[in-house]
Amino acid sequence: MKKRGMRRSNSKELLPSSIENLKTKLQEAMHNNPDFQIRDFEIGGQRVLVFYISIIVKKQQLNDNILAPLLKGDKQWTTQKLINALPLGNNVAQTKLNEVVDALVQGSVGIYIEKESELITYPIPDQEKRSVDKSDKESTVLGPQDAFTESLTTNLNMIRWRMNTGDLVTEKLLIGERVPTEIRLVYLKNLANKEDVQTMRQRLQDLVVDRIEDATPLTYYIEDSSTSIFPQFYQTELPSRFSYSLSMGRVGVLVDKSPTGIIAPTSLFSFFESTEDVFMRWNVGSFIRILRFFALIISAMLTPAYVAALTFHYEVIPTPLLTTLGASRAAVPFPPVFEALLLELLIELLREAGARLPTKVGQTIGIVGGIVIGQAAVAAGLTSNILIIVVAISALASFTAPSYLIGSTIRVIRFPLIILSGFLGLIGIMASICFLIIHLLKVTSLGRPYLLPIYPFVGKDFSKTFYRLPYYFNLKRSFSYKPQDMIRYPKKKARKMKDIDD
Amino acid sequence: MNTTNLTIKPTMRIQAFYLFFIMNSIQTGSGIMGVPRYIFMEARQDAWISVLIAGLLVHLVMAAMFAIMNHYENTDVLGVQTDLFGKWIAKLLGTIYIIYFFFVLLSVTMDYIQVVQTFIFPRMSAWVLSLVLILLIVYAVMSGLRVAVGITFIFFFLSLWLLIFLYKSIAYMEITHFQPLLEASPSELLRGARHTSYSYLGIEILFFIYPFISNKEKAKLPAHLGLALTTFFILLVTVISIGYFSPGELPEQVWPVLVLFKIVEYSVIGRFDVLVVTEWMMVILPNMILLTWIITYITKRLYHVQQRKVLYVVAVLLLIGAGITKHEYFILQIIDTVAATGFWVAFVYPLVLLPLVWMKSKWKRRKRGGAKT
Repeated sequence: MKKRGMRRSNSKELLPSSIENLKTKLQEAMHNNPDFQIRDFEIGGQRVLVFYISIIVKKQQLNDNILAPLLKGDKQWTTQKLINALPLGNNVAQTKLNEVVDALVQGSVGIYIEKESELITYPIPDQEKRSVDKSDKESTVLGPQDAFTESLTTNLNMIRWRMNTGDLVTEKLLIGERVPTEIRLVYLKNLANKEDVQTMRQRLQDLVVDRIEDATPLTYYIEDSSTSIFPQFYQTELPSRFSYSLSMGRVGVLVDKSPTGIIAPTSLFSFFESTEDVFMRWNVGSFIRILRFFALIISAMLTPAYVAALTFHYEVIPTPLLTTLGASRAAVPFPPVFEALLLELLIELLREAGARLPTKVGQTIGIVGGIVIGQAAVAAGLTSNILIIVVAISALASFTAPSYLIGSTIRVIRFPLIILSGFLGLIGIMASICFLIIHLLKVTSLGRPYLLPIYPFVGKDFSKTFYRLPYYFNLKRSFSYKPQDMIRYPKKKARKMKDIDD
Repeated sequence: MNTTNLTIKPTMRIQAFYLFFIMNSIQTGSGIMGVPRYIFMEARQDAWISVLIAGLLVHLVMAAMFAIMNHYENTDVLGVQTDLFGKWIAKLLGTIYIIYFFFVLLSVTMDYIQVVQTFIFPRMSAWVLSLVLILLIVYAVMSGLRVAVGITFIFFFLSLWLLIFLYKSIAYMEITHFQPLLEASPSELLRGARHTSYSYLGIEILFFIYPFISNKEKAKLPAHLGLALTTFFILLVTVISIGYFSPGELPEQVWPVLVLFKIVEYSVIGRFDVLVVTEWMMVILPNMILLTWIITYITKRLYHVQQRKVLYVVAVLLLIGAGITKHEYFILQIIDTVAATGFWVAFVYPLVLLPLVWMKSKWKRRKRGGAKT
């Protein structure tokens, strides 16, 4: 917190001072802002100053709760009397100029009564925000649908209601040298691993930036390795996911003006978990989760395998299949690498265009691109039918990842894989798999290994990571992240069985 | 730094059960691809008995290694040598270890490159392949032992499935190939056992990795089990090879184990052995990474050179070594030499060291006892 002193060194004493003097000082500090209003009242022969930035305070509250009681009658005011009379809480007594200015720009109203030794400010900010919407980026079929908004108060409100326990801590931190942004470190006091909380707090406190744009850039400042292509903190817009992670002992970070919550530590595999898996029956949930892991492998490997097989390893393909492949590729003038890169690029273009355009146009573009261009490319002899199927499957598979970040990571990884398989065939693919695994072994998230239940090996956590089991096997929390309390519910109760005809 | 007892930071320690994977991975590598042929040429159809004999003997050697290490608080073989022979001889012996490990590494690399050239890319340059392998090794060893062990652990499971696809060659085995039983003379059996040494090489890693283990009291079981699994693998491929190939054919096959997979065929995959050779990279890489780590570690212990610098030097030397050797004859020569040297370094040396350690401690005790009375 020491560093923050640099921001404004003019912590001048504002009071005591005459009314006129105070007025000019405030005007000066506000750089003659046209929205800054100072109203000078004379009540019972005593001068009272009320000042605020008109566009960021609630007019209704200002009129009803401050001005109306203040101007009623003709009595003599003192600061203490005023505090007692106004039906508002949160009053702050101020004497320093920079503190007053800070309060004003955050939507406070300042009141100064002549000859008093301090002025008081009331925060009544009027913050424009959208209402709570359905989640767009991480849609789920089952479970809560609401998503975070840009307002920290709303987000905290949603988390508070989900986790209405006194154990929930929301530590306040201010980050940003020029434009400070409020950040909340959220965790369960008696559950979250203390070391993790401390690491996260330390990283946030040590951060020196001029301004934080959003929660996502914040993660890039504080994550373990910024060179890695893999996201190391989970970013979610679902309050349900956020609070579920908190109840598993993770640490969360909420940023003001950002609809994204950050969760840490995470492993690679938690990017393939969806809260929906928890709402599903365990066997169905397991199936879907395993399906996603397969999707990951297919998405990364299918096109490179096609390229490798058709460039170098004809002998791996059995003869009947080779005939089909050969027939479909007969008219294609390019080597398979080029063909695959072309189509992959096309898919990426479609995805990007679809994401940027308005929803309705985006759908049309998808259909036009997918069907018309695909058909035309085959008819023109630029690509083979089979490759279109291959590329479509791998693109589809990459969208099954519940986290958009990991989905994009996989799509990007595919390109070097395709190029390497075009140069070195299967050996190239294998070398890249080995490279990826070695890389993943090196990555950490908040100091904890990224491949956690696998290495270091924690066999007990497999049922939470790769598949799910009935509730009576899930007595304990994930061991990997060492929460303070392992037990979710006592074994006896879960295991109690009724006799026949009981 | 070259003192007898070592203190390892808690964050760098590894759990004992990983020894199972370390022992198995460092032994299973390039040797196992061709071992049935070598044993078969000595012991004919009784080759499998040779494997069992060799397995038992290696278990003995490992027990001896544990006995040596348990004599000291927390040290590796370099510390033991300093304690026994003094600083200079210990340094010399350590240097021999470095050179020996480098040649093991070189032989493994060359062997794999040759396999790839034979099975997949006949015209691929050895430079390209060794460059790919070496880049992976350098990237992995950069992060030290913990990551190396992680790779060993994960790649073990990622390559274990290969065993399943031996089922087809098992189905084609001929029981008559094993008859008559016990035709080979004891000396032939022992010579066969000695020919497995290249496949068993690697247990010397225990001498260096031991101080890193956090729960040493539990170290013996996983290490011996890992060794037993290696024996099982060698036994399995030897038995299948004898049953599958005719007695005249087996000595012709340089890598009989890879050929065993040739018969597997599905409607989506024609030549399975190509996949096996590719997948073998996952078998060979942990092996190479562990060996490279040991080389850098010993050099750091002996000469106080930064591990990073040693790693670069080893990488360049390995690249040159693997790149310029082209003749099959020369490669076989190196492998044979490594196997012969390894026999003495890995198996005989611990058995020589153990009595010396005993003698030294007895002598110490007598000296201390004499001082007291």
